[in-house]
Amino acid sequence: MNSSGKKEDEMKITDILEKKSTRRSFMKNLSIAAAAGSAGLVTGGCVSLGKTEEMGLKWEEYFKKNYRLMTQEEKDETVARLVRLAKIKNDADIQISNQEPRENVLYGYAFNISRCKGYMDCVEACVKENNLDRKSKTQYIRLFEMDSGQLDPTSGDGKYFHEVPVEGKFYMGVQCFHCENAPCIKACPTKATWREPDGIVVIDYDWCIGCRYCLAACPYWGRRFNWGEPEVPKEEMNTKQHYLGNRMRMKGVMEKCTFCVQRTRQGKLPACAEACPTGSRVFGNLLDPNSEIRYVLKNKRVFRFKEELGTDPKFWYFID
Amino acid sequence: MKKIFLSSGLLFLVLGTVLLSSQAVMASGSSVMDRIHAADKPFDSMGIETAYHLPVKTVLAQESYQGGTFRVLARKDFITRFRCSVCHTDKKVLVSDGILFTHGDIVINHGRGNERLACIECHDEKNRDFLSDAEGKQIDFDHSYQLCGQCHFRQKRDWLGGAHGKREAYWAGERVVRNCTSCHSPHSPAFETKMPATYSLPLDK
Repeated sequence: MNSSGKKEDEMKITDILEKKSTRRSFMKNLSIAAAAGSAGLVTGGCVSLGKTEEMGLKWEEYFKKNYRLMTQEEKDETVARLVRLAKIKNDADIQISNQEPRENVLYGYAFNISRCKGYMDCVEACVKENNLDRKSKTQYIRLFEMDSGQLDPTSGDGKYFHEVPVEGKFYMGVQCFHCENAPCIKACPTKATWREPDGIVVIDYDWCIGCRYCLAACPYWGRRFNWGEPEVPKEEMNTKQHYLGNRMRMKGVMEKCTFCVQRTRQGKLPACAEACPTGSRVFGNLLDPNSEIRYVLKNKRVFRFKEELGTDPKFWYFID
Repeated sequence: MKKIFLSSGLLFLVLGTVLLSSQAVMASGSSVMDRIHAADKPFDSMGIETAYHLPVKTVLAQESYQGGTFRVLARKDFITRFRCSVCHTDKKVLVSDGILFTHGDIVINHGRGNERLACIECHDEKNRDFLSDAEGKQIDFDHSYQLCGQCHFRQKRDWLGGAHGKREAYWAGERVVRNCTSCHSPHSPAFETKMPATYSLPLDK
């Protein structure tokens, strides 16, 4: 997308969302006044001071803006509130980052279908890294055991559990492909999901209303819905979090692979790519002609899944 | 009645124009491939300050990657009984100590079919602290890719480019990749079959 078009787009979004802002800010002021009033009442009662603080923070959280409309100051404030809330509620010491995208970076991923052995170390690492719900066994990645000659995962077995690799089969991993022309973004009625300048499609969990239109729109089964409150044992919690990434989700919101935004924006590989024991997963900057991902695209036979849909995914499959 | 037909016709007309215009909007954005082709300037990945040096020991590779240098994981620290020349001397050994000193635990499963490779096809016959290639050139254990690459040249080509093997921890910063022997046991290089680390629930279809 050219920059002027993008700017226009952003302006439009701002316009749409700002129209309500007068009412919103009025409500916010009203709510703060109400909170203060009730706080006065509550402290007069028998509820502890911690409870009052939690209530106040929750009030302010409730009236915050869409992440894209926040100033840096507001982003820092909401992050500080979320960190404090986690401390009050679960006595958890977490760090939430709001690291911006890096300049001249566009993330891309390549998956070697002739190397993957189906060990599923990637899935395990992803669950741990991204604080995925253990109760419903949510997973962002799904590996399909496929017969040779097939290239459509629907023909494969996505729930195998036996010694791998099996002779005559190959393994194909599917996750969010971070499409440049993503159908899920268009489907979202609240603009709670968007594509960042570095190509990662993210969700503002606080603006998601849980309508699941994006889930229906995605042709790659890339999105997951929280039917219940996600549960992660405290000792297994990954405390290094990102606002748009692996911070704790709530009941009734969508979530999905974010290319481990909390890691990749720090220069690290996503958890799946780091965990893979076979080196089937190649990750890097598409705008860097010297990156590994560019080598793969230039020298290997690559294809993208359902390319004919025009979704323009940034996830390639390749063979040796 | 006629009025209803007219209004429904109008409705379809409006719907059609809306759909067509949205198609046009979709087509106007530049694709990933366009952006990739347009990006030909090298990216300063050292500029990402958080990609710090790894806690593992690395050595500068004696090959080049896309014209530049890169590092590989050091190997010698992981070889339990290195330096080999401590035992491999001219000193005589008692037969009863043989079990302790020989490498009875190593099973060689390397080579095509039943033709297993012999130790000295990779290890240097004279100086046990080194490997040696087919031409008899001594190769350091840290640079074993030079040895492996003489047969597995396709894999080595891919490895140099980044399509085989993997980077260690960071996509940014200085390029640090795993050595051949970081993933493959040199004596039995094929990956084993094993149970997967976890499993997925059935899809709701």
